[in-house]
Amino acid sequence: MSIYHVGKVCVKLAGRDAGKKCVVVEAVDERFVVVDGATRRKKVNVRHLEPLAQTLDIKEKASSAEVKAAFSKLGVAVKESKPRKTAERPKKQKKKAAKPVKEAKKKAPKAEKKSTAEEPAKKEAPVEKEPVKVEAAAQ
Amino acid sequence: MPKGREKSGRFRKVFVKTPGGDTKVHLRERKPSKAVCGTCKKPLLGVPRERPAILGKMPKTARRPERPYGGVLCSACTRKLLQQKARGESQ
Repeated sequence: MSIYHVGKVCVKLAGRDAGKKCVVVEAVDERFVVVDGATRRKKVNVRHLEPLAQTLDIKEKASSAEVKAAFSKLGVAVKESKPRKTAERPKKQKKKAAKPVKEAKKKAPKAEKKSTAEEPAKKEAPVEKEPVKVEAAAQ
Repeated sequence: MPKGREKSGRFRKVFVKTPGGDTKVHLRERKPSKAVCGTCKKPLLGVPRERPAILGKMPKTARRPERPYGGVLCSACTRKLLQQKARGESQ
C-alpha cells in the first residue's frame, strides 16, 4: 500500500491550489489519486502532493460534503463551491431591436431595383436617337 | 542638438523608415529587466517584461502565475518552501 491511501491528508505543492490541504478520496493507480478538501476535487499526480501525518476516516469516493464534515473536525476551513447559474441569454431582445431596421433596409433596395429597371429603358431611347442626329449633321 | 535626456542612455534607439524614404532614429524607453526568483535568481516564467504603465492595463491573471508566491518565487522554489512548511507542520 502506497503512502497515498484513501483518507491520507496531504498538502498540494503545485498549481493554483498549492499550499492548500486536501485528502485522498480515491487511488486511481500508482501515480494518480483523486483529492478533495480545501482544494478543488481533482485527479492529481502524487508528485504534486506532500503527505501529512494526519489521516481522515472517510470512505472511498466520499462525496465533497462528507469530506467537508471530516475536515471540520480537523479545524481546516473548506470552501464550499456553489454551482454556477447560467445567465439568461438576452438574444431575443436583440433580435426585436434589429428587426425594424432590417425591414427598412429591405424596402429601400426594392425601390432602388425598380428605379434601376426603368433607367436602362430610358438610356436605350437616347442611344437610338443619337445616330439619327449624326446622320442629320452629315446631311 | 540632442536634448540632455536623450544622451543619458535611458532610451534605446529604433531606426524607423519614414514614408519619404529616410531613416530616422526614434528614441523609445527601454524595457525593464526580467523578473527573477527571490531565492534562486532564475528568470520567472509567466511574468511579462513590460513597464508598469502597461502592466497596469493588463489583467491580474496575465501578470503573474496563479499560485502562492506567483511572480515572486519560481515553481521549484515554491514547491520546496511548501514542502518544508508541510513537514514542519506534521512533526
